[in-house]
Amino acid sequence: MLFRRVYSLPFLFLAISAFGVGNGTEGWGTELVSFELDVQPILTARGCNQGACHGKQRGQNGFQLSLLGFDSDFDFRALTRQSRGRRISLATPMNSLLLKKATGETPHGGGKILDASGQDYQTLLTWIDQGVPRNRPDEPKIVGVHVVPDDLVLQVGESTQLDVRVNYSDGTSRQVTPTAAYQSNDQPIAKVSEQGLVTAGSLPGETAIMVRYLQEIAVCHVLIPHQNPLSSDLFSKMKSDNVIDHLVWEKLKRLQVAPSRMATDEKFLRRAYADVIGRLPTAQEARRFLESTEDNRREQLVDRLLESPDYAEHWANKWVDLLRPNPYRVGIKAVLNYDQWIRQQFRENRPYDVFIRDLLTAQGSTWDNGPVTFYRDRRSPDELTTMVSRLFLGVRLECAKCHHHPFERWAQDDFYSFAAFFSELGRKGTGLSPPISGGEEMFFDDKVKPVRHPLTEAVMEPKFLYGAAANLGEDSDRTLREKLADWLVSGENPYFAQVQVNRIWADLMGRGLVEPVDDLRVTNPASNQPLLEELARQFVESGFDQKTIIRSILLSEVYRLSSTPTPSNRTDYRNYSRHYRKRLRAEVLLDSLEQISGRELSWRGVPPGAAAKEIWTHRVTSIFLDTFGRPNPNQDPPCERVEALTMTQTLHLMNSPELLQLVTKDGGSADRFSQSDQSDREIIDEIYLAIYSRFPTIQERGVAVAFMAGLPEQRRQAIEDLMWALMNTPEFVFLD
Amino acid sequence: MTIFRNCEGITRRNCLQLGLGGLVGAGLAPLLRGRALADVGIERQQQADACILVWLDGGPTHYETFDPKPEAPVEIRGEFGTTPTAVPGTHFSEHMVNLAGIFDKYSLIRSIRHDQGNHGAGNHYMMTGAPPRIPVGCGAFVSFHPSLGSVVAKEVGAPDGLPPYFSMPSMSRSGGPNFLGANYAPFVVSNDPNRNGFRVRDVALPDGVLHDRFNRRRELRSQLDQLPRWEDSAVGDPSVTADEFYVQGYQLMESAQAQAAFRVETEEASLRDRYGRNSFGQRALLARRLVEAGVPFVTLYEGGWDHHTNIFDAISKRIPPLESTIATLIQDLEDRGRLERTLVLVLGEFGRTPKVNDRGGRDHWSNAMSVMMAGGGTPGGQVVGATDRQGYSAVERVLSPERFVSTIYAKLGIDPGKIYITPDGRPVHLVSDDRPIEELMA
Repeated sequence: MLFRRVYSLPFLFLAISAFGVGNGTEGWGTELVSFELDVQPILTARGCNQGACHGKQRGQNGFQLSLLGFDSDFDFRALTRQSRGRRISLATPMNSLLLKKATGETPHGGGKILDASGQDYQTLLTWIDQGVPRNRPDEPKIVGVHVVPDDLVLQVGESTQLDVRVNYSDGTSRQVTPTAAYQSNDQPIAKVSEQGLVTAGSLPGETAIMVRYLQEIAVCHVLIPHQNPLSSDLFSKMKSDNVIDHLVWEKLKRLQVAPSRMATDEKFLRRAYADVIGRLPTAQEARRFLESTEDNRREQLVDRLLESPDYAEHWANKWVDLLRPNPYRVGIKAVLNYDQWIRQQFRENRPYDVFIRDLLTAQGSTWDNGPVTFYRDRRSPDELTTMVSRLFLGVRLECAKCHHHPFERWAQDDFYSFAAFFSELGRKGTGLSPPISGGEEMFFDDKVKPVRHPLTEAVMEPKFLYGAAANLGEDSDRTLREKLADWLVSGENPYFAQVQVNRIWADLMGRGLVEPVDDLRVTNPASNQPLLEELARQFVESGFDQKTIIRSILLSEVYRLSSTPTPSNRTDYRNYSRHYRKRLRAEVLLDSLEQISGRELSWRGVPPGAAAKEIWTHRVTSIFLDTFGRPNPNQDPPCERVEALTMTQTLHLMNSPELLQLVTKDGGSADRFSQSDQSDREIIDEIYLAIYSRFPTIQERGVAVAFMAGLPEQRRQAIEDLMWALMNTPEFVFLD
Repeated sequence: MTIFRNCEGITRRNCLQLGLGGLVGAGLAPLLRGRALADVGIERQQQADACILVWLDGGPTHYETFDPKPEAPVEIRGEFGTTPTAVPGTHFSEHMVNLAGIFDKYSLIRSIRHDQGNHGAGNHYMMTGAPPRIPVGCGAFVSFHPSLGSVVAKEVGAPDGLPPYFSMPSMSRSGGPNFLGANYAPFVVSNDPNRNGFRVRDVALPDGVLHDRFNRRRELRSQLDQLPRWEDSAVGDPSVTADEFYVQGYQLMESAQAQAAFRVETEEASLRDRYGRNSFGQRALLARRLVEAGVPFVTLYEGGWDHHTNIFDAISKRIPPLESTIATLIQDLEDRGRLERTLVLVLGEFGRTPKVNDRGGRDHWSNAMSVMMAGGGTPGGQVVGATDRQGYSAVERVLSPERFVSTIYAKLGIDPGKIYITPDGRPVHLVSDDRPIEELMA
C-alpha cells in the first residue's frame, strides 16, 4: 500500500505559507485599517503564525502569535502590548519592529517577507500610523468565503484562475484572491499558485484545492479527465445493477477512465476468503468453488463465508486493533474481558449501533463487564473525547484540544463541550497501578464533575458537535452518556455510519473512499462522495448490519476487477478502476501458513486450536506476528498496522526456523503427501490450491513435475522445497 | 531527507527548509531563501558515523557508578568507597576500576535531570528526547516519538544488505520507530553470541537446510514466480518493492562481509576474553563488528538495573563484568582507529535516590543521573556539570534529555531541529530543544 497515507494531510499544515503579494485587495478606501479585517489576513498569508514560526507554542524568539491566527485578542496583544510595546512605534511608525523585521531591515529568522514598496507594507504602516486601531466602528464580521469555481474540470496542462470572495455581515463582500492561501491535496494532479492559479498536471485524476482566508475555508474540486476519450458506449455495456457499480462507473465515466477487466474466479475466491474470514481457502475449499459451474456460486460462497465462525474472529480482530488497551496499563483481566466482549458482538452479529451504544454507556466492574475497560483505559473526559470523536465520527477533534482545528470549524469550545458528556462518569475501586494493574474497578454514572475550558476556565455544558442540541435538559432520567450515544447513532449524524462503511470499504478494496479512514472533513473529500453516502444509507437501512455491506461490496463487479492496469487507469489509485494489490495481514498470513502446513501452532495463554486472529493480547509472544506487524498497544496511537512488506519479513519467510519446522514437521502436509500414493501431479495440484488458491498452469506443472522427478529419493524434501518456493513469492504474500 | 550529512557546510536551518521546500513545492521558496541568508554561519560538521548505545534498563545508580559522594553521611554514600580515575581529582565508585583507568578517553555528564520518575516515562524521555505525551506507568512500553536508533536508521541508512539499526538481545522499551514506520524498527538479535554455534536469526539458512538445497529452492522459486509485476511506478504495485527486498535479503545472506560481521567466533580468543565471556561481553564485541561493517546504530539492552533492594550486593556482582566490557570496547575501538568516528553511550532512564531505603536499595530518582559518552569527537577526561554535595540533584550545568539527544544527532550529522510530518499531517520537531551540549562537541 504505497499510496495509503501519502496524499493525506501532510502537506496541509505547511500550506499556510508565504502567499499573496498584497496588491489589488479591494478595501474600504482610506478608512481606518482594522486589525482583524486587514492586518491579520496579512500575517496569515505571510505565514507569520504558522506552527513552524511564531505560531508555535512559546512562539519564536519571544514573539508568539496564535496558531494560524485563530485568537485575535491574543495576537493584538502580542503585537501592540507585549515586550513593552516595542514591536510597534506609534511615534515613528516606520521604525516599528514589526515592519523592520518583516522587511529584513533588522535581522529576522524568517528572512524578508514584505517588500517596503508593496501594498501590504502600506496597509501595516497606515495601521500603525492610525494608532493601531483594533476595529472599525460597526465593523462587520466575516460570514463566509467562497471560491469560484468550486467544481472545476480541466484538461491536462490547462490552467484556471480561482476567484475568492469574502462575505461580511453587513452584506458587503470583497475579493481576497491575492491574500487567500491555497493548497492542493495532490500536487501532481493539480498545482495551485500563491495567486490562486490552478494548473492541471500531466496525469488525469482529481483532487481538491483548499482555499483559506483567516478561519474560513472553501474547497474547489478539480477533475482532469483522461485525454483520450473512451468510446461512448463502454459504460452503457457494463453491468450496473448493483448501485455500487453504478456509482463507480459514473465516476470513471466523468474521468474517462476505463476499468480493468474482470478478474478470474481464482482471484475472487482468494480475495473473498482473505477479506471476509481472514484466511486463505484450503485446497478442498478452493477445488469446491473452482469446480462449481453454478451461476450463483459467488453468492453462495459469500453467504457461506459470512456464516463462518472465522468471520466473527477476523472482524473482531480489526476492532480489537482499534480498542485494545495496553495490558500493562489496565491489567490482564480487564483486557481479556474486553476482548471477549468485543468478539461476542461479532459472534452474535449485533448491529453496529447497538455495539457502540453498549460500549459508550457501559457500567459495572472491569472484572465482569468487558466494555467498561474502555473507561479504565481512557480515564479523563478529554482522552475520551479524542477517542470517541475519531473512532465513531471520523472527526479529528484532538487538534481542538489545544488550538482551533486548522482545517475545520472545531474550536476549543467544541472540544470541551463534547468532553462534558463524560462529566458524570464515576469510578470506584482500584485504579491503575502498572505494570500489573490487577485491581477491580467499577464505572457508573454519578454526580457531575465539571469539565472546564483550559483557558477561560468556564464550566462547559455538554453540547453535540452539530445537529440539534435539543432535549438535553428535559429528559432528566437519561444519563449524559446515554444522550451522547443516542445522538451518535441517530439519523442526524451521517458521519457515524460513514466512517464505519469507509473502514469496511478500505479493508475490502485496499483503500478508503476517504483516507485516512477516520478523517472525514470538507477539506479531505471522499473520492466518491455519492458512493460513501450510498453505503452509509444501506448500512443504516439494514439496521447497521455489517454483513449486508460486505455482501453488497463482494458481489459488485467493482470488487472483481483485475489488478492488471490498462493504459487508461494506470495512474488511478482512488477510483477503484482496478484492484489494488495489498499484503495479507499478519494474522491472515500466519493462519494460512498453519493451514497449509497441516500442523497446529499453539500459543501460551490462548486455548489450543485457536487461530492467530484470536490472540487477545500482544503479550502472547509471536515472532511472526511481530515481524509482520500487529498493532502494539504500547504505541500511541496503538492501532497502527504495518501494511508494507519489509526486508525483515522477507528474511523471516525465507529463513525462520519456526516456519521451517512448521512445514517440515512429521505429520504435516509435506510428510503426508510424501507417504501417500498420490501422483506427483496430484500433489502439485493440491499444493497450488493450498498456497495460491488455483491450479498450476501447464507450464508451472511441468516445472514442478520435473523438479520432483529430479529428486526421486527425496520426495518429502522435494515437496517441502516446492512449498517453500511458493510461500516465498509475492503471489502468496499479496492479495492480487 | 538524508541529505544533511552529504552536503558539507550546509546550515542546520537550511536543511530543515530543504525538507519543507521539498514538501510544499514552490510556495515557500521565497521565504526560505530569505531565511537561509539570515542564518549563514551556523555550520555543523558530522563527527561520528555510528553509535553504540549501552542501555542499562531500570535506572542505574549514579552513586555506585560515576558520581560517588564519599563525604555524604553513610545513609547516602552507601557501602562503597571510591577509586581514582585517570584524571586527577575525579573519582568513581570503587568497582569502576577499568573505566576509571581510561577516563581520559571519554566524557561524563553528571547533570542530566528530568521529571519522569517511572520506567516507562523515563525510558521514553531518554531514548527519544521527548517526554511522553500522556502520563504513563512504570511498566509501560510506550512510544510517542521515534527513538534514537530509528531516526538514525532513517537518516543515515544502512550499508549493502545490512539492517541499519540493531537491538540486542531485545528491543528496548521505547526503541521503536513510531510514526517513521516499520522499516526503521530495530533488527532484533535475540540469539546469544556467547553460545557455541551462535547465529543471527533469519539472516542465514536455518539448521537443516544446506546451501545446495537452498539454491535448489531458490532456483525453483524463480521459475515458479509467475505473478505479473506492474513495473510502471505510477501503478504503485507493492510486489515490485517486495522484489527489492528479496534481492537485499539474498545479498545479506550471501554477502561475505555482512555474514562475517556476525561471526564473533573469528575474533581472537584473547580479545573475546577481554570483552568477557558472557552474553553482554560478546554482544559488545558483536556491536563493534557491526559498526565496522557499516551499521550506524546498535543498542545493547541490559535489563536488571532497578535496585530497590540490596543494591550493594547486586552492584558488586553486576558492575565489574559490565564496566570491564565497556572499557574493553572503548579501548578496542581506539586500537582499531574507530573511536574517533564511533559514539559510545552508557545510560539508563534515571538515577537513584540519595537515601538508602530500609530494604538496602535505592529508588527511582530523575533529579540526577550520570551519562557516559565516548568517541565521535567527544573530549576525554571531561566532567560536564555536577550534582550537589550529597547527590540529590543536578545543580551545575543542568541539562535536559533533549539536549543530550540533540548532541547525539548533531554528532551523527542529523539536524536535531528538523521537522518531521507524521502520517496525520502534524509537523513534529525531532527534538524540541535542538541545542547540542557544546562541551561534548569537538
